[in-house]
Amino acid sequence: MNMLKFLITLLAFGATIAHAGSVRVQVVDQAGAPVPDAIVYALPVNGKPPATKPASAVIDQIKRRFVPMVSVVQTGASVAFPNKDNIEHDVYSFSPPKRFELNLYHGIPANPVVFDKPGLVVMGCNIHDSMVAYLLIVDTPWFAKTDAHGAATIDNLPADAYKVIAWHFRQSDPNAQPTQKVNADGAVKFALQLRPAE
Amino acid sequence: MLFHSLRARIALVFVVLMLVAQAAAFLVINSVILKNAHRNAEEQLSVAERVFAQILRGNSEQLTQAASVVALDFGFREAVATHDGKTVASALRNHGDRVHADVVMLVDLDGKLIADSGGVGREGMAFPFPKLIRTVATKGDASSFGMIGPRAYQLVAVPVKAPIAIAWVVMGFAVDDALARDLSSLTSLDVSFLTVGDDGKWGVLASSLPHDARDALTDQAQLAANGYATRVMRLHSEGRTVAVLLERSLNEALAPFKRLQTTLLLITLLGVLVSIVGSVLMARSVTRPIAALTQFSKRIGQGDYAAPIEIRQNDEIGELARAFNQMRDGISEREKRITELAYMDRLTGLPNRALFNDRLQQAIGAATRSKRPLAVMMMDLDRFKYVNDTLGHPIGDMLLCEVAKRLRAALHRKTDTVARLGGDEFAVLLPTDDLASARLLATRMLNALEEPITIEGQLVDVGASIGIVTFPQNGTDMNVLLRRADIAMYVAKRSNLGYALYDERHDQNNAERLSLMSELRQAVEHDQLTLYYQPKVDLATHRVKYVEALVRWDHPTRGFVSPDQFIPFAEQTGYIKTISRWVADKAIAQCAAWRRQGIELAVSVNVSARELIQSTLPEIFQGLLDKHGVAPESIWIEITESAIMDDPNHAIETLDRLHALGIRLSIDDFGTGYSSLSYLKRMPVDELKIDKSFVMGMFQHKDDETIVRSTIDLGHNMGLKVVAEGVETEEMLERLKALRCDLAQGYHLSRPLPPAKLEAWLDAWRASNEQALIAGPEEA
Repeated sequence: MNMLKFLITLLAFGATIAHAGSVRVQVVDQAGAPVPDAIVYALPVNGKPPATKPASAVIDQIKRRFVPMVSVVQTGASVAFPNKDNIEHDVYSFSPPKRFELNLYHGIPANPVVFDKPGLVVMGCNIHDSMVAYLLIVDTPWFAKTDAHGAATIDNLPADAYKVIAWHFRQSDPNAQPTQKVNADGAVKFALQLRPAE
Repeated sequence: MLFHSLRARIALVFVVLMLVAQAAAFLVINSVILKNAHRNAEEQLSVAERVFAQILRGNSEQLTQAASVVALDFGFREAVATHDGKTVASALRNHGDRVHADVVMLVDLDGKLIADSGGVGREGMAFPFPKLIRTVATKGDASSFGMIGPRAYQLVAVPVKAPIAIAWVVMGFAVDDALARDLSSLTSLDVSFLTVGDDGKWGVLASSLPHDARDALTDQAQLAANGYATRVMRLHSEGRTVAVLLERSLNEALAPFKRLQTTLLLITLLGVLVSIVGSVLMARSVTRPIAALTQFSKRIGQGDYAAPIEIRQNDEIGELARAFNQMRDGISEREKRITELAYMDRLTGLPNRALFNDRLQQAIGAATRSKRPLAVMMMDLDRFKYVNDTLGHPIGDMLLCEVAKRLRAALHRKTDTVARLGGDEFAVLLPTDDLASARLLATRMLNALEEPITIEGQLVDVGASIGIVTFPQNGTDMNVLLRRADIAMYVAKRSNLGYALYDERHDQNNAERLSLMSELRQAVEHDQLTLYYQPKVDLATHRVKYVEALVRWDHPTRGFVSPDQFIPFAEQTGYIKTISRWVADKAIAQCAAWRRQGIELAVSVNVSARELIQSTLPEIFQGLLDKHGVAPESIWIEITESAIMDDPNHAIETLDRLHALGIRLSIDDFGTGYSSLSYLKRMPVDELKIDKSFVMGMFQHKDDETIVRSTIDLGHNMGLKVVAEGVETEEMLERLKALRCDLAQGYHLSRPLPPAKLEAWLDAWRASNEQALIAGPEEA
């Protein structure tokens, strides 16, 4: 099974290398400051992204924090929530794309959670109010998260025209979807309206 | 009246001073207390205001916390996040109940109402307090006051996090009386919540006060008037203004001060009371000895010197008391002495008139009770005045002492009193004697005085006249007895009897004299007096050149009144001056009239002793002479010898001046007085008139003839004319002629005549004398 997965990945990687490009994205806020932890993802302007097997993700619980706080996965991906603290944590979500609750547990829960609908899922721990994790589920395999410099690169984009969408958990209008069109190997820059950090 | 006493005044001053001091202290302390009380109330309010704000803040925090707890409840969050409206609403109510919220509302992030536990709002409605939501969105929580319907709520808003904010829970806690009461008990103030209604007026939402007291709350001026200090705090509110009114009853706040005030007032009153009592006691301690001194002085005033005043104090009052005691001693001693003086004649040591009267009064009382008689004698020395005048007052005084001694010796009984009443007047009281023994005693007294008295080598001869009255025969009243004794004495003196008993006839005579006096006055005024003129005949030539003017009183009812009857008491009363003036005027006028008729007559006028010493006499005569145009040589003035001897020096001075005017002077009644020849020598007289007693006794007594002859010789030797009075017979006339007397006057020649008759007599006299001269010159 694992071998199979590995092969597929390898094949895909091989294909990408053959004729792939990448889009560099720079995200700043309304003041021009780089915005880290912004999610950027690309959708082909025409057609759909290829049906690829979504990659799974891990959101750790370390020192009463979800790490990373912001994550992005492709629809259908499974996310594991390993508890690395020596206290129990709970993970819940009332977000419409995925409502679930992992009751208080140590270690790694038996099953990862599968997020099969696109959208934003906000997760918390019901005994630690300060713990929050944002998981954006997108219908594309092409996504990235900005680094501390607000820069991100969406790789493996076949040559095509794309619309790149940016999202940040603090953006003033939660429903806004700032979108920019770009060709593979292009570069875009987003200036987001953000709420001040709490 | 009340405050006229020293004690009252002292007390009043003290009390007023104390009152002023106490009142001032009271006012100052009171004002300080009041100021403090007000400041206290104000401070209390300020503190309360801060406390209240703090409480509200705490309250809202507490509510926020409670709301947060609810909002964070996982089940609640789950319900809110995942369930339908109805479920959410019931969850809201359920969780709201946990924290006793009265209203719970859920608001979405767009500010729209999701659910309302009170059922007031509908889903999708805009939430009425958008500011609250904005605040909670930025700050994480918010609280505010707000009106929902008619009620006010304290609203808190917290987010519902899943785990980020997905909605806002707003919880409202009703602002009701219970809250107000809680706050009231925490702040110790009355707490009321107010809001401005649609009509712009304040309305009461809730209050710690009972309902009936709330109406006044909306009018702060009224509150202030009712004694409340108030603060209004506008509460942080959305929509209609909600405010809280804190009030502090000043009356209540001031209650402890009022108690202090009452205590202060009591202390002040007590102080005043104590000061009144103290000052009264103090005043009494001052005035009590004064009252004792007053009592003492009254006693002294009444003549009670028996006991000294007893004040044992060493202060000023004690000193005053000692001075009073000294005064008492002094007064009592002096009074003793004054009493002695008052009742004793200092010269003779005999009782005086006052003591005599006392004793007489007592004796009359005793005699009346015992129905026994008593006798009173009044004695007057004869010729005492002469002794005094000639020998001097010291001799006179010694004479009085000797008389007193003799009189005392003459009275053997102790009960008899001899007193000197004044001058040479003595009185004797015989308290148990009848008339017979009084006579005996009177005789004895007279005998005692008859013995010659030698004073400083001079033999003084005094006699006395005594008047005797007996009780009750001559009267029962002291004054009556004394007056009648006096009358009897005068009778004795006049008749040279030695002593005389009172006779009622004497008294009538006395009364007559009194009425005569007033009639005499009328007589002068109504011209009842007339002047008669008696000629003086020149024994050598038988011519008449002189007449003596003599006053006659022709009384309308009594008829003719003798000068002897009215002249003496006219002299005594001083009325003689008026009469003399009248006489002089008439006489000089008559003289002038005769002159005009060609009758040459010199008129002599009698002048009394009293006038002689009157220094205006010469001026008066000068005036009259001028008035009538008469030469002074035509007027003679006759003065009795005794008149001159009363005060010879004065008399001589006046006579000198009269003589200087040219008036001639004549000495009347010469030989009856005690005139000293040395005076006679000095007097400017022109004529001597021998007293008629000598002339009339010439043929009976050899002595009288000797006196007449000697007087004529004396007069001639001194260059004076000599006139004989009282010539009643031809024999006398012849004898006088033989003795070479110059002039004669008397009934034998002519009585005093009125002017017209005198003129007729003069004519007749001249005619007969011319015949006689022709018929028998040997008769001349």
